[in-house]
Amino acid sequence: MTHLELENLASDYLEGQLDGARRREVEAHLNECAPCRELVADLRHALELCRSAEEVEPAPWLVPKILLATIGERKPTLRERLDAFFQPVLRPRVAYSVAMAVFSISIIINAAGVNLRDLTLADLNPRNWAYQANRTGHLLYARAEKFYYDLRVVYEIESRLRQIRQDSGSTSGAPEEGAPKSEPAPGSTTDGKPAANPQMAEARSPFTSVLGAAQVPMDKAETRRSPIP
Amino acid sequence: MENDLELLKRCLAGENQAWELLLRAHNRKIYGLCYRFTGRTVEAEDLTQEIFIKVFQTLKSYNQAQGTFTTWLTRVARNHLVDHYRRTKRDRATSSLDDEEAGEVEARPSPEGSPTAAVESRERRELIQEGLDKLSPDLREAVILRDLQDLDYEEIARVLGVPQGTVKSRINRGRLELARVLKRMDLLRGPAKAGSEP
Repeated sequence: MTHLELENLASDYLEGQLDGARRREVEAHLNECAPCRELVADLRHALELCRSAEEVEPAPWLVPKILLATIGERKPTLRERLDAFFQPVLRPRVAYSVAMAVFSISIIINAAGVNLRDLTLADLNPRNWAYQANRTGHLLYARAEKFYYDLRVVYEIESRLRQIRQDSGSTSGAPEEGAPKSEPAPGSTTDGKPAANPQMAEARSPFTSVLGAAQVPMDKAETRRSPIP
Repeated sequence: MENDLELLKRCLAGENQAWELLLRAHNRKIYGLCYRFTGRTVEAEDLTQEIFIKVFQTLKSYNQAQGTFTTWLTRVARNHLVDHYRRTKRDRATSSLDDEEAGEVEARPSPEGSPTAAVESRERRELIQEGLDKLSPDLREAVILRDLQDLDYEEIARVLGVPQGTVKSRINRGRLELARVLKRMDLLRGPAKAGSEP
């Protein structure tokens, strides 16, 4: 085999495409010829280098640019349009604002007395909303007023009692301290507890007058409520 | 391949999404071919775009008797590259600036791998590219199609429009020439590397 023949068969030899006899001829020549051995080694190195080369990466904008040049601006698909629509909603700031708005609306609805579970068509009428809001406002006002007056009555009673105690302490507090406490006083209470002193009974009069004044309408209410047998 | 045919049918029926899928499936291969042929990133990008525009306009002319869609696409690309080579031959002969530019603009590496592997890969790529640039166009395209694009002899024969025997001969000569060039480059680089080491 000549050097030229070996050069022509070098690629086939490296790719394993030679039949047995031809292959043996090549190998025999390679064993004898150092320059041809070197040539085959160089060729093998070049082949390995080429085959180990990675694919080069095109620029990311190349495909969109070609698409634009061929089919023009592509219409977005339904999915892409939906994604684009919902994308802002998923941002934390927007989600937080929406949650706060829902929370505020729920408080307003609750204050207006609208129960969302038993919602009817009539509840959606703004006139009913105004009526409900008005009614709730009045109820709240009445409750607050009642609470205030209750506080006032309690305060008046307490101040009167304090005054009575102070009066009794200053006039007959010291001499009667030695008297037995078990002795029932003329002004003892109905539940058996002894009053602080006889004047206490007298001191009740303003208390009872307050209570009496308060009880009058209650009695009337009782008579009104109870049906005539 | 069946997938390509299916996409092609949908494409011819006017479905733009099928064209996009076809383009995404083949753009790397065609870009790689252009880059290996020219050795310049910007030129390879322009050529890839021109090739796909041509393909889009001539999709109807493809028939299965010409081989697979990939073979047909590669043939269109190769013909366009040869035309481009002939057109710009005079410019290249009168200006050596392109070679400097080729050295300045790096090809984009694949995103995977460690930094060391990326550097090695880049050096290997540059070495191959320098070697390929020194081959004649006939031999260069044969080596690129066989050893870098991994086409078989029959496909290369269809792409180049020459008999398989010629293809084999070109590939063998191209490889031998590349091996000599790479050896010369290694010898040239050897003393420089040795000199740089303490």
